[in-house]
Amino acid sequence: MGIARKQKMSRGVLLFAFNNPKFNYYEMAVHTAKRANHFLGLPVTIVTDESSVPNESDYTFDNTIIVDPDKNNVRDYNVWINKGRYQAYDLSPYYETILLDTDYMINSDTLLKTFGIYEDFCCHDTTSFLMHPGVPQEVLSTYSFKTLWATVVTFRKTDRAKQIFDCLEMIQKNYDHYANIHSFVGGVFRNDYALTLALRIVNGHTDDKQDIIPWNLVHVGKNTSVHRNSDAEFNTEFTVVYDSWKRGKIKKEYITLTDTDFHCMNKVNFMELIK
Amino acid sequence: MNTASLITDAKARFSHNSAKAYLKDKFSSKLIVAEQGGLWTASPALISFLSAIDTEYLVIIDNFDNPVSVNVSELHTKMVYTYMTVMAEWNAEWESLESKR
Repeated sequence: MGIARKQKMSRGVLLFAFNNPKFNYYEMAVHTAKRANHFLGLPVTIVTDESSVPNESDYTFDNTIIVDPDKNNVRDYNVWINKGRYQAYDLSPYYETILLDTDYMINSDTLLKTFGIYEDFCCHDTTSFLMHPGVPQEVLSTYSFKTLWATVVTFRKTDRAKQIFDCLEMIQKNYDHYANIHSFVGGVFRNDYALTLALRIVNGHTDDKQDIIPWNLVHVGKNTSVHRNSDAEFNTEFTVVYDSWKRGKIKKEYITLTDTDFHCMNKVNFMELIK
Repeated sequence: MNTASLITDAKARFSHNSAKAYLKDKFSSKLIVAEQGGLWTASPALISFLSAIDTEYLVIIDNFDNPVSVNVSELHTKMVYTYMTVMAEWNAEWESLESKR
């Protein structure tokens, strides 16, 4: 098989991971990469910076791409290096790429289904919170759009996908302007909001169902913690515990979860899970 | 501390409502199938509709609102198989969760 043909058919996962003083995103990425190899059977490329790469690691990525990150974003009094996601199109060595947040717990082969359902780009528009059934969907602002989620994005190298990522770059560089137009808080850059606007712009300010992953992105939210049910490396069973406030007291509630991917928004909890 | 002792020591109560919602999320996604150039949800309505059609080919609107020409019998077989498999798994997991306290 020729090199061009090989590249055309290739599939892989792309992770962006830049450590900050509080969290080791590289370590999270190693964990997610191992699970991507195991459950999806896909190679993983990491985009990171020199300072995040450890001297020794028990894992070798398919590719390690070193970039100079934009550190000009702060959340919870910490540097949050989440800008530059628009580079995914140019940096991905694969023809078809699953772009993931490093705190996404792959627990099944569900993500492979995205390759079969999309035209050239897809992401989630609907979420569900474990232990909080029926939580309303997030919107950019009261009079704006329902938020899309950049946690999982599958794309193919096509002109249209490139337009979406180019548009993402434009929005990142003019974020305050778009925050002003759509009345959301512009101080902290969020890829989810930028993606929401980019996709709408490329689609001629309309919704296109074809760009949406037709199942919910499962979040682990506030007052909720996840615990592994076994120490096996590729454990697929977890217990989710929720602190429910009733009459001034905390009552703990739980469920067990198997073979289900989830997005752990609590990074402290995620770091505990991968140790 | 392992997870079992965490649950016991904290006197945590199994949340049946949350488990029900989680299972719905988990198994609803498994009912979605890409087939014959369209995206379909294996549902009783679609299965009933397909079984009532006696032509070989038919154009149906898929989950993405695209009109797709399908081989009725092949799609019906796939939908029935998916529905039966996924619902059996859903039922098995639900029954095992139902017994928890």
